[in-house]
Amino acid sequence: MPMNAPEHNELREQAELYVLGALPPTERDAFETHIASCAECAAHVKALSPVTDALAHAAPQHDPPPALRARVVRSITGSPVKAAPVPRPVPTRSSAALPWLAAAASLILAAALGTYAANLRARIGALELRLQDATERAAAGERQLADVKRVSVEAQSQIAILVAPDLQRIDLQGQSPAPKASARAFWSRSRGLVFTASNLPTVPPGKTYQLWVLTKQPAPISAGLFKPDPQGRVAAMFETPPDLPQPIGMAVTIEPDGGVPSPTGDKYLVGL
Amino acid sequence: MAELYDRHARPIYSLAMRILGDTTEAEDVVQEVFSQAWRQASRYSASRGAVGAWLLNLTRSRAIDRLRARRARPGGVSDDRIAERLPDAGPPADSQVLSSEQVARVRAALDELPLLQRAAIELAFFEGLTHTEIADRLEQPLGTVKTRIRLAMLKLRDVLAGTV
Repeated sequence: MPMNAPEHNELREQAELYVLGALPPTERDAFETHIASCAECAAHVKALSPVTDALAHAAPQHDPPPALRARVVRSITGSPVKAAPVPRPVPTRSSAALPWLAAAASLILAAALGTYAANLRARIGALELRLQDATERAAAGERQLADVKRVSVEAQSQIAILVAPDLQRIDLQGQSPAPKASARAFWSRSRGLVFTASNLPTVPPGKTYQLWVLTKQPAPISAGLFKPDPQGRVAAMFETPPDLPQPIGMAVTIEPDGGVPSPTGDKYLVGL
Repeated sequence: MAELYDRHARPIYSLAMRILGDTTEAEDVVQEVFSQAWRQASRYSASRGAVGAWLLNLTRSRAIDRLRARRARPGGVSDDRIAERLPDAGPPADSQVLSSEQVARVRAALDELPLLQRAAIELAFFEGLTHTEIADRLEQPLGTVKTRIRLAMLKLRDVLAGTV
């Protein structure tokens, strides 16, 4: 039995937020005080920690630039070379007449040589990494990885829309054929459209829902077709043309399978 | 140290890139993380996988701190630096080592989460937003956001534990 039952009941549901770092400082501190004396919550937090470890690996993987390796190793082993290496001028016999010109020329030469060497190192490093990567992939199963990647790219683009700086939201209300239905569209000119809906009636065979973007132009523009799941829910992503006129509303109609160029059926959802 | 770098630099750099979206800053974070690991290296001995998780934890903290500093309004001071709150110690000796297969399962499970659950998790973990900031961003009620995060985390935990 936890030491402080009312506190425990109030705080136990914060463990997931806590491990994700989503608690504001005051709530976080209160929760930390609580787990210091509550074995149950402490155990729950511990059971969740592999999830955040795995999330840290869930980021899309990129090879670090090969030059970074030398920079890190140098900065740590305390070799006299500075962390951000700057090509040093090569000592040259300076011309007494035009010392500045010689200095400038040697700087340029040193920079060019430095760049050339860095490029070579980068290419070798990149090739090594690519080889290593290819070996790993073969072991892991090429096809499974490709599949995971594809799904991940799709989901990434949905997330990208939801976090877009130019995000615009349009709420849609159910109309007389589906008074309980509701929907929400998130639209970003740069990234596309995410559409979620709930309580939509199942479509009869041969029919589909069609989402329309209403703009200042008289004709609605089709954004795409969708069908809800058996629970009447929808979560769909549509690409929109970059030159789409500013949406002033959205509507959903029921149409024959395959969709139509302009709406003909009953309106199920409208948002302005 | 070179060996440590070769083993862990890719996930560290990738995580920093995911959070910061900027190669220069991500490289700086990688360097900071390895410097810190090196300074503290003599104080711990732990298994490889636990070191990996610990390094990624350091990476996330430092990257999120940079992100928050970037977001803070001019003049505003970010006084809630998570990197400074991390215990000054190495990885816990008993922490679990994740297999690559477990990581793949979590990635796949993340992709299958309902969109808003996934968005909430990613905004917390990769953008360092608090629950109220997430609710604002997704224009959802706070209670709904908390529930979505709980459900998603429990689902991922079960996927990891292999009970789903």
